[in-house]
Amino acid sequence: MKSSLPRSPSQRRFAALRHWRAYLVMALMSVPFVFPFWWMISSSVKGLNDIFAFPPPLFPANPNWSNFVDVFSYQPFARQYANSLFISTVVTIGVMLIASLSGYAYARISFRGRNGFFLLVLCALMIPAEVTIIPNFRTMTAFDWVNTHIPLIIIPIFGAGSVFGTFMMRQFFLQLPREIEESGMLDGLNRFGIFVRIALPLARPALGALAVLTFLSSWNAYLEPLLYVNDLPLFTLPLALANFVDAYGTPLWHLQLAATTLAVVPVLLVYVFAQRQIIDSFMQTGVKG
Amino acid sequence: MNSAIPPRRRGLTWAQKDSVWGYAFVTPQLVGFTVFVLIPIVSVFLFSMESRNLLSGKVSFIGLDNYATMFGKDPLFWKTIGNTLVFSAGLVPFNIALALLLANLLARALAGITFFRAVFFAPVITASVAWAIVWQFLLQGERGPINQFLAVLGLNGPDWLRTEGWAMAAVIFSRVIKTVGLNTVIFLAALKNIPSELVEAAQIDGANRAQVFRKITLPLLAPTTMLVTVITVIGSLQVFDHIVLLTQGGPANSTFVLVYYIYFQAFKVFETGYASSLAVVLFVIALTLTLVQWALRRRFVYNEV
Amino acid sequence: MTSSNLIRAAALAMAATLVLSACAAAPAAPPAAPAPPAAAKPAAAEPVNLRVTVWSGNEKHLQTMNDIATAYKAKNPNVSVKFDVIPFADYLSKLTVQMSGNNPPDLGWVVENAAPAFIDAGVLVDQKPSLDKTQGYNFAEYSQPAMGLWQRGGAVYGIPFSTSPFFVVYNKDLFAKAGTDTPDKLLAQGKWTWETLAQAAKAIQATGGGVYGFQPVDSFPYNANIIAPVIRAYGGDLWDATGTKCMLNADSSVKAMQLIHDMLFKDKSATPIGDKSDFYAGQVGMATAQLSRLAKLDKAPFKWDVIPLPSGPAGDSQMVGQAALGVFRSGKNQATALDFAAFMTNAENTAKMSIYFPPARKSVFEAPAFLTSNPMVTAEQMKASVAVGIDKGKIVPVHTNFAKIELALKPVLDKTWLPGADVKAQMDEACKAIAPLLTP
Repeated sequence: MKSSLPRSPSQRRFAALRHWRAYLVMALMSVPFVFPFWWMISSSVKGLNDIFAFPPPLFPANPNWSNFVDVFSYQPFARQYANSLFISTVVTIGVMLIASLSGYAYARISFRGRNGFFLLVLCALMIPAEVTIIPNFRTMTAFDWVNTHIPLIIIPIFGAGSVFGTFMMRQFFLQLPREIEESGMLDGLNRFGIFVRIALPLARPALGALAVLTFLSSWNAYLEPLLYVNDLPLFTLPLALANFVDAYGTPLWHLQLAATTLAVVPVLLVYVFAQRQIIDSFMQTGVKG
Repeated sequence: MNSAIPPRRRGLTWAQKDSVWGYAFVTPQLVGFTVFVLIPIVSVFLFSMESRNLLSGKVSFIGLDNYATMFGKDPLFWKTIGNTLVFSAGLVPFNIALALLLANLLARALAGITFFRAVFFAPVITASVAWAIVWQFLLQGERGPINQFLAVLGLNGPDWLRTEGWAMAAVIFSRVIKTVGLNTVIFLAALKNIPSELVEAAQIDGANRAQVFRKITLPLLAPTTMLVTVITVIGSLQVFDHIVLLTQGGPANSTFVLVYYIYFQAFKVFETGYASSLAVVLFVIALTLTLVQWALRRRFVYNEV
Repeated sequence: MTSSNLIRAAALAMAATLVLSACAAAPAAPPAAPAPPAAAKPAAAEPVNLRVTVWSGNEKHLQTMNDIATAYKAKNPNVSVKFDVIPFADYLSKLTVQMSGNNPPDLGWVVENAAPAFIDAGVLVDQKPSLDKTQGYNFAEYSQPAMGLWQRGGAVYGIPFSTSPFFVVYNKDLFAKAGTDTPDKLLAQGKWTWETLAQAAKAIQATGGGVYGFQPVDSFPYNANIIAPVIRAYGGDLWDATGTKCMLNADSSVKAMQLIHDMLFKDKSATPIGDKSDFYAGQVGMATAQLSRLAKLDKAPFKWDVIPLPSGPAGDSQMVGQAALGVFRSGKNQATALDFAAFMTNAENTAKMSIYFPPARKSVFEAPAFLTSNPMVTAEQMKASVAVGIDKGKIVPVHTNFAKIELALKPVLDKTWLPGADVKAQMDEACKAIAPLLTP
């Protein structure tokens, strides 16, 4: 927030020195954010014996790469990985479709009942989805959709996911200057045309932020898969991670940590490459109350 | 469906056609919402008046008996309510204060700042089960990495996850680290929208950094803070996997929260009727907290952006 | 005005169509094949698909079971059997959910501590008439203590395929290092008791290097299965045989709990709760274990041996965990399921399964084939530590309200396992906590 932006590289370096206190504070604060990743990765190549070694070596002496192989023979881990990718992708696309349509309508189109409908959405935003798990569970049982991926896809798309998405997209479209759309009206576009040709392209940052949030919440989900999925080949990643246990429920730590690393690192890599876009899309969206 | 469309379609004005589009746009969302949110919320109230055992399949209507049991004969219910509130009361202020602090640090135009932005956001993109699995190791008793680090400093760390009090603190702390990045980015975006002239003017008037933050930044961030608070409060009521994997509700039920109890009653002892009445309580708590925040909003948010 | 009403009607109609089409789509999902009533034995041509839920995903286990299913199909060409794996941690939840759904399993594994609740809820079918009908089944040779849990009056609600004794496994190297008498020596002298176990644990812990002396089964919290064998060796129990009276605060039980407490906090010789030190990684001197756990010692870099559970003031006290094959009432092919259950648990197939799961049939657990079945353990060890347990072992604590009791007991145990806890007071507390659940 300080006034001047440093320009040349030498000025930049000078500024960096001048702000050493800020760097020190940030470096110290980042320890609890970084250390878990480092520890996880270094432990993932330890044998069962070294994980419990006292004191634990920070870099394992004899990396035990076979952990990463054993992960796949213990349960259909690749399949489970693919399940999570598939479910999260479908949910993300579904929510983006539904939420951008309804969010736009609530922000821009005037129709009777609009405020009432939106008030419902707003209220639902404040209700934890866990309130509805039992009724939804019974619905899914009645449709015989238990032990399929259907509940994991349709409940977030039509329930909590699109509620949040609708709210977020509405807030974004409200900020969009109306004048931009008026040219479209003059060109004879109907509402759908205006939405597709004008509003939606401008909503890219908001859609990006919504996509990231939706993907993550589906990717992270644990309670719903725990309820709905029984068979190992249908498991999602979080269930699979929690399932590195022997037949009596005793955790197999070394495999669990290797699997956890396999689950986290690729996402982390994607994020490292896309982080500027991801964070920028959040910043441009400027989620507001 | 065809019969419902008026024959003289050409006669509709643009505004009238527009409102048809409006309904068309919101229909998928509204239908899904009705089926998966609205009807379930109504039915959970009805289910809460049943005794329904999933194992034996026995069902009977028992009126308000579940509530009588809950309030009068189930000490664990009160314990979980208390824990849930303690968790939220610990997590929300800590999360928001840290997010504000980080956002202010990260808003500066310093070399390498994008690196730090990435660092603080990294746990957000990590599956929470994975995060909990790792922290379960970090927080172990005397052999845990955290305690070994403390030992180097000459400190004797407790057995975090097995000591009443510390367990809740450890659960809150690891959860905040996991989620604070998202709130940080939201604040960061809001900070960028604060006109720099305002800040500069204040600086010319001789305000120091703390004064600028208190008198200008904070009030202008109020609407964002409001939204972040609502989201964080709801999120704190939903915590499940983090607790299941770190403490299973222990020690001495000190981290047993309401959502976990709903799950336990419905899917471990199969009393889905009783679990529904617990879900109703969760609904009421969420509603109450939201209304409280709404009321506070009137008092604290001066500037609706 | 009228037109806007019409628009509204149109929108409503559209919404309604969507809802209707959504609903209409549902019945399109293939309905579960309407099964003929259970009593009518299907004609040979009628194809039947049996579904069996199990919790072991182990490939060898599944292979053996599939072989048995194939043999059954050879005799009954119309019957196909599928084994569905549900991980143990959520087995009961998911099984129950499936039973209440439209496509319930026909048979399944049932773990011992769920048996009373399952039987009381009426979800299991009496298999006795079917077993009696089956030629050469020889039901009488099942070990009587092993059948106790599964029988009510004359009815048989489950046939145990695994009756797995708890025993102690110990690290010979750590004993040598500590220079203390090994359990087999103590046993030979008639001195293998929980007290001498505690002394040995202390000696091993004292050798330093961060090793512990004793670890209960894996690194679980000290729950019912951990405390029960000690308490019973002292003459106590968790509750009485009728399941109506708490016995945790009996003097004998308290003495046993005090012993565990001292190991944890006075001697510091037992692995602390939640600590991830592991016997199988060579960091602990002794552990309670079951046969299945020994596979983890495959490449153990230390010498080890097994020994029965120690005795106590009340004499010898062995304990078994059990799992049985049950036939579910909600299943749609009951007659076939009953027939398959009798086939799966006959002497021949029990022998096949006994390679992985300790059997409760006398002719099988006394046969050399079983005694030499585990490559990790010699026949003598099997006889001394396993067969004895099957024959005499008392079942782990079970109760129809087990899940609720466990929940009620957990916080009290959490408080008991703290340094300086008053064990007697906590056990009084425990009885108070579970009393409402023990009344019939």
